[in-house]
Amino acid sequence: MTPDLWLLLIPLTPLLLVSALALPVVGRHLWRLTPLAVLPALAGALWLPEGAWAFYPWLLLGTELALDPVGRGFLLLTALLWGAAAVYAQGYLGADPSRVRFHAFFLLAMAGNLGLVVAADVVFFYTSFALMSLASMGLVVHEQHFESWRAGWVYLGMALVGEVALFTGLILLVHDAGGHGLVRVWEQPPGMAAVILLLGGLGVKAGLVPLHLWLPLAHPAAPTPASAVLSGAMIKAGLLGWMRLLPPGSVPEALGTVLVVLGLVGAGYGVLAGVFQHRVKTVLAYSSISQMGLMTAGLGVAMMHPALAPALISALVLYALHHGIAKAALFLGVGIAQRVGRTAALAWLLLPGLALAGMPLTSGAVAKTLLKAPMYDAPVDLSLVTLLLSTAAAGTFLLMLRFWVLAAGGSREPRPVPVSLWLPCLALVLGTVVLPWVLAPEDAFKALAVEPALALLWPMGLGLLIGGIALLLARFRGWTLPRWIPEGDLWVPLERGGQGVLGWVSRTPGFWHMPGGGFTLALVHGVPRLWAAWLDRVARGERMLLRWETLGLLFIGLVLSMLVAVYLGAVMVMS
Amino acid sequence: MATGGYMLLLILLSSLLPGVAIFFLREQQFALRTALNLGGATLKFLLIIALLVGVYRDGKTYSLSVNLLPGIDLVLAADALSLLFATLSAVLWLVTTIYAIGYLEDSPNRSRFFGFFSLCVSATVGIAFSGNLITLLIFYEILTLATWPLVVHRGTAESFRAGRIYLAYTLLGGAVLLGAVVWLTLLAGSEPFTAGGYLHHLSADQGPVLIMIFAMLMAGFGVKAALLPLHSWLPRAMVAPAPVSALLHAVAVVKAGAFGIVRVLNDVYGVELAADLGVTLPLLLLAIMTIVYGSVRAVFADDLKQRLAFSTVSQVSYIILGVALAGPIGAVGGLVHLVHQGVMKITLFFCAGNFAETLGIHRVDEMRGVGRRMPWTMTAFTLAALGMIGIPPLAGFISKWYLGLGALEAGLAWVTVVLVVSSLLNALYFLPPILRGWFSRREGPWPDERHGGGRLETHWMLLLPTMAVAAMALGMGLLASLTISPLYWVTFIVEFEYGYDHIWRAIFEWETP
Repeated sequence: MTPDLWLLLIPLTPLLLVSALALPVVGRHLWRLTPLAVLPALAGALWLPEGAWAFYPWLLLGTELALDPVGRGFLLLTALLWGAAAVYAQGYLGADPSRVRFHAFFLLAMAGNLGLVVAADVVFFYTSFALMSLASMGLVVHEQHFESWRAGWVYLGMALVGEVALFTGLILLVHDAGGHGLVRVWEQPPGMAAVILLLGGLGVKAGLVPLHLWLPLAHPAAPTPASAVLSGAMIKAGLLGWMRLLPPGSVPEALGTVLVVLGLVGAGYGVLAGVFQHRVKTVLAYSSISQMGLMTAGLGVAMMHPALAPALISALVLYALHHGIAKAALFLGVGIAQRVGRTAALAWLLLPGLALAGMPLTSGAVAKTLLKAPMYDAPVDLSLVTLLLSTAAAGTFLLMLRFWVLAAGGSREPRPVPVSLWLPCLALVLGTVVLPWVLAPEDAFKALAVEPALALLWPMGLGLLIGGIALLLARFRGWTLPRWIPEGDLWVPLERGGQGVLGWVSRTPGFWHMPGGGFTLALVHGVPRLWAAWLDRVARGERMLLRWETLGLLFIGLVLSMLVAVYLGAVMVMS
Repeated sequence: MATGGYMLLLILLSSLLPGVAIFFLREQQFALRTALNLGGATLKFLLIIALLVGVYRDGKTYSLSVNLLPGIDLVLAADALSLLFATLSAVLWLVTTIYAIGYLEDSPNRSRFFGFFSLCVSATVGIAFSGNLITLLIFYEILTLATWPLVVHRGTAESFRAGRIYLAYTLLGGAVLLGAVVWLTLLAGSEPFTAGGYLHHLSADQGPVLIMIFAMLMAGFGVKAALLPLHSWLPRAMVAPAPVSALLHAVAVVKAGAFGIVRVLNDVYGVELAADLGVTLPLLLLAIMTIVYGSVRAVFADDLKQRLAFSTVSQVSYIILGVALAGPIGAVGGLVHLVHQGVMKITLFFCAGNFAETLGIHRVDEMRGVGRRMPWTMTAFTLAALGMIGIPPLAGFISKWYLGLGALEAGLAWVTVVLVVSSLLNALYFLPPILRGWFSRREGPWPDERHGGGRLETHWMLLLPTMAVAAMALGMGLLASLTISPLYWVTFIVEFEYGYDHIWRAIFEWETP
């Protein structure tokens, strides 16, 4: 198969399957084939030749698809997670009355996610990004509870704002570059406005603090297989977009500083807010915010010191793979944990949780070591950043402890776990151990040395210490975790505040006595009244206008006066 | 005079003659009437294709000139812009005819309806092929009159009221237009449309007069294009039957106004002269106000068709925004929206008609769960509505992309803010019906269910045209770089009209590896 066809098939296969769902008789059974839709992508990630590139002059505004090393890593991640989630969905949603609809949106979002990984021009990237964002709305609101609708609206609103910011940023880029191919866009350093718009537009997807508000609401609201891809694969689209559109070296170094600060804040805040959660999936969502913060900080360092960029970028790709697989394994594991006994549940969730915290021998250890290694070689002292990264790892371990406690507790109803549930989960759990040895065996070996292992272990020890004390307090003193931070943290005060301010303003007569209050009052009450009066007058005017006699006379009069005016004008011109 | 002018006459007659013949048919002569309708529509479509082949492959020019009064000619001519509009009319007329036959099945006064329907299209095509302002004016007025019986077709008090408001606005607009055209003819004579305008020699000593005439022309055409203070007839005219609303909003009336504005700006004044006179900026501001106002009103409209009507008010001004940017890329965005808006809006009105005819759904909040009952119509609705928001890869995205780039090119970066605000507002009024349709459940029976029990979700003559136009709305975006795409065509027009040789390269060859 030529790379031309192959690259196109990567996003096209899920779309073809979606259209096949509409077939008359067989269509409603074809959702069973969903896992197969990732096969071209998976095969492409493994076997497409290095530097594969294709140009489709007929598609959109002229589309380029390509696979570079960064793209290969993300493609592998995307294909693995969507494939695993698709298999899982067979069992999880097999009896759902709306399963065909779920799979239709699932496939659309999958096509978008795969497409944006192989996109090599900004229009196709934007198209895929939009497809993914909008189609995942169908996954978030799938269950149609009040909670999922609320999460869905917050998600959709923020996604759309991100979308238009991205659109504006992209046309600024394209206008400066004079072309929409990525290679062409890279030739021109992006302007300040474009940088800000792209930072925000993609930041919504990447859960960049403070644009993360939708994430802890939406990720838990979706059905479990959808949560896994939302939190494991789709969240990475923001990171990939930054790498593609704001390549280190051509962006101002100040942007790097901003990303490092926001990333580290996010890493810390994700832990802080996550620990106070009381639902398993929400803890995982906050953990995603925290982990994305670490990756964002890594990318920020690359932007600050472009010389470190190659090493950091490849480390970030591995980190993204590691986090995606571990997080998806956790989400899928949560679905299994509810069906098995306490010990079995912990067994399912232990390994990916440890990997996330950076346990030696797991993918987390390799990814964290690789990410920190270039920072020790930096021309300036980055020990503060590396220290904070390590501290964040302690936080991650704490978060995982909280997660395990929640996942093991609570009521459970033992049910059989079908093979379609445990097989993909097992594959991902094993992936957290096997993957580094397959992808980067040398680095995996290096991460076993004493020094990096110590650097990984002390944060875990710290996390264990704090978590252990908390557990002991809970057990022997009966302390429970206060509900200080609600799900969706800042969104909740915003939502209440919005309603509160409106209510307060309307309820407080005193408000109107303050200076300028009269004017505001007049404005608030007067303008609608004026508007209504004006509409009334227009309507009355129209009624009069509508009488045939008026209409006819007006028409004739107007024509006559026009002619007279024209005649006079012409006479004046001639004289 | 170049040969082949009879082709243009034939194209006009291909809808005019069936239209006149249909008036004389009895109500029961269904087969003959349908044959005449579809025959005329198909014939027109084929003739237009022949014309396209003649123009693009063989490089022929077609024009026909009849002396009307001393110094005043009636001119029909086919240039690239007129072919764009004529093709749009012919294609959409064909699908709308099929739709209307299905929609009006067993309803009274069908002969009258289809007669005026054909006249209306003849006038639209006449507007497309008008070679000078006088001819354009004549067809424009014919269009006004031919549309009125369609608006009041249902014969209810409400529709007569809407019809009178329609007439009041359009006739007065037409009178202003008449004044402007006469004045301009006195000043400059009855010149044919010329790329780049024919008024340069007057600009030195007649500047204020030209500005005045421009304002009158904009007022005259602006009534039909529903520019801001003159728009209020449009949302009321949606009491007309769905196929009429569809054609009205997509090509016939509203587009005739927008097309007139494009003609005046490009072929009478010329963009450069208009920019020198300083009239493009006010036009731009007016277009922007209309865009925002229409969207805001649409958000608060509960009736589905009314929401679509306010959306038209907003979307048609994208076209005017594009040409008022006075740059080639903006013009590409504006002109391509002439086609894209037409296709997307006709899809939406067909869908609204399907919902109303099949299930009795008229309001947005009645659309709960309609996706399960009518998945195909809902898919078409979703595609067209997302296109209106400007989501890729649909047609509307292409328009928005080039409008944005055009604004940057013209040095008016703030216009992108308008596009963003308008997109968000569009999302605000189009996404709730989509989400309700797909994700809510319906409790209880539909308001008024018909066409049930068949294999298809509704009458095939309603479903098929809807799917066809929805597929066009998708294809025009997804395959925008094909040589038959509206974008390709519009680029050709703009290069020709604006005399920029870089525009082609800028749009189609910048990616050549």
